[in-house]
Amino acid sequence: MTLRSKNIGFYIAIGLLSLVIMMITALNIGVYEFGKSSAYEVFWKHISGNPSLSLSEKYVIWEVRASRIVMAVLIGSMLAVSGTTLQGMFKNPLATGDLIGLTSGATLLAAIAIVLGHTFQDYLPEWIRFSLVSVSAFLGALLSMILVYRISTSGGKTNVVMMLLSGVAITAIGFAITGMLIYISKDDQLRDLTFWNLGSLASATWTKNAILFGVLLISYYVLLPKGKALNAMMLGEKDAQHLGINVEVLKKQIVILTALMVGTCVAFSGTIGFVGLIVPYILRLLFRSDYHFILPLSAICGSILLLFADTLSRTIVAPSELPIGILTAVMGGPVFIAILLKFKNNLR
Amino acid sequence: MIKGYQINYQNQNVSILKGIDIEVGYGEFLAIVGPNGAGKSSLLNVLANEIKTDKKQHILFKDKIITDWKLEVLSKHKAKFSQHNSQDIPLLVKDVVMMGRYPYFHSQPNSEDFKSTENAMTETDIIHLQNRDYNSLSGGEKQRVHLARVLAQLDNDVTHRLLFLDEPLNNLDVKHQYKTLELIKKLTQKKNTTIVVLHDLNLAAHFADKILLMESGKVLSYGSPEEVFTQEMISKAYQFPCTICKHPVNQETMILFG
Repeated sequence: MTLRSKNIGFYIAIGLLSLVIMMITALNIGVYEFGKSSAYEVFWKHISGNPSLSLSEKYVIWEVRASRIVMAVLIGSMLAVSGTTLQGMFKNPLATGDLIGLTSGATLLAAIAIVLGHTFQDYLPEWIRFSLVSVSAFLGALLSMILVYRISTSGGKTNVVMMLLSGVAITAIGFAITGMLIYISKDDQLRDLTFWNLGSLASATWTKNAILFGVLLISYYVLLPKGKALNAMMLGEKDAQHLGINVEVLKKQIVILTALMVGTCVAFSGTIGFVGLIVPYILRLLFRSDYHFILPLSAICGSILLLFADTLSRTIVAPSELPIGILTAVMGGPVFIAILLKFKNNLR
Repeated sequence: MIKGYQINYQNQNVSILKGIDIEVGYGEFLAIVGPNGAGKSSLLNVLANEIKTDKKQHILFKDKIITDWKLEVLSKHKAKFSQHNSQDIPLLVKDVVMMGRYPYFHSQPNSEDFKSTENAMTETDIIHLQNRDYNSLSGGEKQRVHLARVLAQLDNDVTHRLLFLDEPLNNLDVKHQYKTLELIKKLTQKKNTTIVVLHDLNLAAHFADKILLMESGKVLSYGSPEEVFTQEMISKAYQFPCTICKHPVNQETMILFG
């Protein structure tokens, strides 16, 4: 089954429409009851600056629900796009931030920054501590990325086993050091670290959303028009070069921008796995591996997937909350196995 | 069209090309022949700007150092058909051929690009396969898909275009071997140049204007097929006995081995 009959704009329009419908639906779902009026009326009152709105209603609709929905949209989108572009660069559908160790690298350095940051916290202003964690997460992702690429790729060819095993190695190192940090950390640090390992969108704020949006704009400006180039990479790097594509520049852009996206996502939401695996997998079933289609569409479908998972995570065990990483892993595990089965004979 | 002097290339301390001089003119069909490991593919890769050699050596493409060309511009002047084509491309055949048009459109291919790919697919006899999965094709059919791709890439108004082909006849049946070489010949008759690595000496003699016979990284002989394909030269290069005779039907030079 392939859908390719229509223009890419048609699918983007459908995707955006469903995303907007989901965002509107999600706004009305939650533990807090707004009494007589619906969540939409409250939201409208807030937008139009109606003075009859109580402070708690205002807080719930804007600072809690709306900001969390926007954060799910931004993070889901970036995780999916980072997975898709990495798969294009490594020429393999198993290359995603979490499987090749970017997420672990980012988590590790973020954890170190949290513990160290707490040691110095009396001397540092809050915004520095805040950005310290983000920058560390980015550096962690970037270092892991460079390490994995160096280990697994030579002469433009990626050894898939080496790629996945270096991911396992980085994850093991990250697990050990994070474990040690948990062992020596104090109570408040422990809470932060646990949050990192499970992943959650509960800490969404508009400041974080603004930063995420900035990262998204920069990354998408460079990466989203690369559909043709990633298709050509399937021919091999040398043949892509003969088609006028500067492969070295392309790879550098992908390395830096995926590390930036994964790092920022980890810094703000912790480890949310498998989004970068599930979304391109489903899109590949519909559009084959045509990156001209799956790259822009993964930006939209990633949002849809994570928004769905997050809304589910805060409703199925309400008033408590299920860590979102559990939900994405439940969906991602079978996809992982499906890819392994399909590539059983080519994974060498 | 393309010139290179004293080309040296080493790979992991093994000297592969040892001081090769080469100059190919406009509208020329050059066949590079020689035994396994003679350095034929390496020479082609160096000329095609794929591997970097010594910094001091320059390959001149249209009298300009090839590394000074912008990649996007260069892709409209030259194309290369590689020996080892990717076996796993999860796309339709026509999408793979369309890659040849990537230098010409930004986001959406226009009608000219579609016409170009259709022509190329008709010429290489794969038009009936255009909606098949590339991965479901046989080895020879995949070869023809990539041939169509490079033909589509060079379908433009540039006056002198250059096509590199590394063993394009691998896996092809007799009919398509001839059809492929005829296509290449047709291209060179329009002032374009092709440099082809071939194994079949008789086909090389039949189609090529010039032959470059290589042996262990050096040029053993260069010239027209009649000049290069002599009994002693071939026996020396391949370390194998051969006889030169006339084709009983068309009276052309024919090389028999054994």
